[in-house]
Amino acid sequence: MLQITRLNSRTMAGSCLLAALCLGAATPGLAAAAQPSASAAQPAVPAAIESSPPAVHGLTGTWNRYPQLGEAPDPKLPPPPPPVPPPPLKAQYKPAWDAKQQAIKDADARGEPPFTDYVKCLPDGMPTMMIAMFPMEVLQTPGQVTIMQEAYNQVRRIYLNEKQIPIEDAEPGYWGHSVGHWEGNTLLIDTVGIKPTVTFRGVPHSDQMRIHERIEMLRPDFFEDHITVEDPVYLTAPWSFSYAYTRLPHYKMLEYVCDSNREYKDPKTGGTRMRLGGH
Amino acid sequence: MRQSIRAWRRTWGWSVAPLCAAIALGSSGVALAHHSFAMFDSAHQVKLAGTVKSFEWSNPHVYIELNATGADGSNKDYTVECANPGILDRIGWKFNMIKPGDKITVIIAPLKTGEPGGLLKQVTLPDGRVFANGAPAGKASIK
Repeated sequence: MLQITRLNSRTMAGSCLLAALCLGAATPGLAAAAQPSASAAQPAVPAAIESSPPAVHGLTGTWNRYPQLGEAPDPKLPPPPPPVPPPPLKAQYKPAWDAKQQAIKDADARGEPPFTDYVKCLPDGMPTMMIAMFPMEVLQTPGQVTIMQEAYNQVRRIYLNEKQIPIEDAEPGYWGHSVGHWEGNTLLIDTVGIKPTVTFRGVPHSDQMRIHERIEMLRPDFFEDHITVEDPVYLTAPWSFSYAYTRLPHYKMLEYVCDSNREYKDPKTGGTRMRLGGH
Repeated sequence: MRQSIRAWRRTWGWSVAPLCAAIALGSSGVALAHHSFAMFDSAHQVKLAGTVKSFEWSNPHVYIELNATGADGSNKDYTVECANPGILDRIGWKFNMIKPGDKITVIIAPLKTGEPGGLLKQVTLPDGRVFANGAPAGKASIK
């Protein structure tokens, strides 16, 4: 529905951006121009770049995804990012993924929605966390940017001006190991070490997956995260998508501990059921 | 409706619109918010008046246990699922606004299994105040 709303409300500029993104994914030259290049993705950080946050356009504060589902885009802001394109899965992996999507749809239609990790109260991890289902808080401190998502109390730490660890040394986890540096008003982030079970849209990935982000502070109260997923094992090309965020002034983040989950897996159908009468 | 859609994603995210997502994306395997609405029958909403047995302010959901007499005259304990504290805080609920013993009226989308429980659409408190369950859950379609 969000995507439909976005499709409906997307401006011409948004369409052009979508086209550019699709082209970018399919055309190596364009991809290199539009996204972090292979060399930028690598650990080396140019010594000349002072990795300090922009003086005015600080990321510190609380943020909401923009536009919220069904919210009319603000003409004063850049057009909302286009919908996430389908994953460029290699041919041998696509049928299984397609079948899984169909199975989810069928299960929902039967009233037996799948019992997923998220329903189990596991956090969604990277890059899903950046869809910012709930408000998000960002802190800039010396040498580090910290991003927190209210849902499931998720925290990711981005170490500034550090060399990325070798990908084979990255411990698998939910948020991975992130390093970043500022280039003007853009924070470039490289993330490795996402657990195989932590997937975005159910798309499988290998331990070679790398997530690049360009967090671009376009206005003091508006930024975009341009995310590119690379995985030489599962994907034929980089998979790129963007999300936008607006500042939520004065919002105080709430805690979120998933300690009262009444949803459980029906042993017969595998679908989600709600436990009655308490725990 | 706009308000409804606007906050929909916040709690229920993509899971509520697998078909829409499928049309738009060619897929529906997107980040599920806590869970899908597919367990509940929003097309056949039910109104129940009863006495609160417990009110649990917790994540991933807030719950009301309600002893009520249904349209068929039978008295049962119903489990009523609400949104989460964050969503409800933002639309004016308070963690202690419902207490055991309170006489309340709820409109729910019942469980498709026929078990006594459902998704809250609207609650009327003893003092007459009426609250929705946050935009994600959608509005009551009956009075």
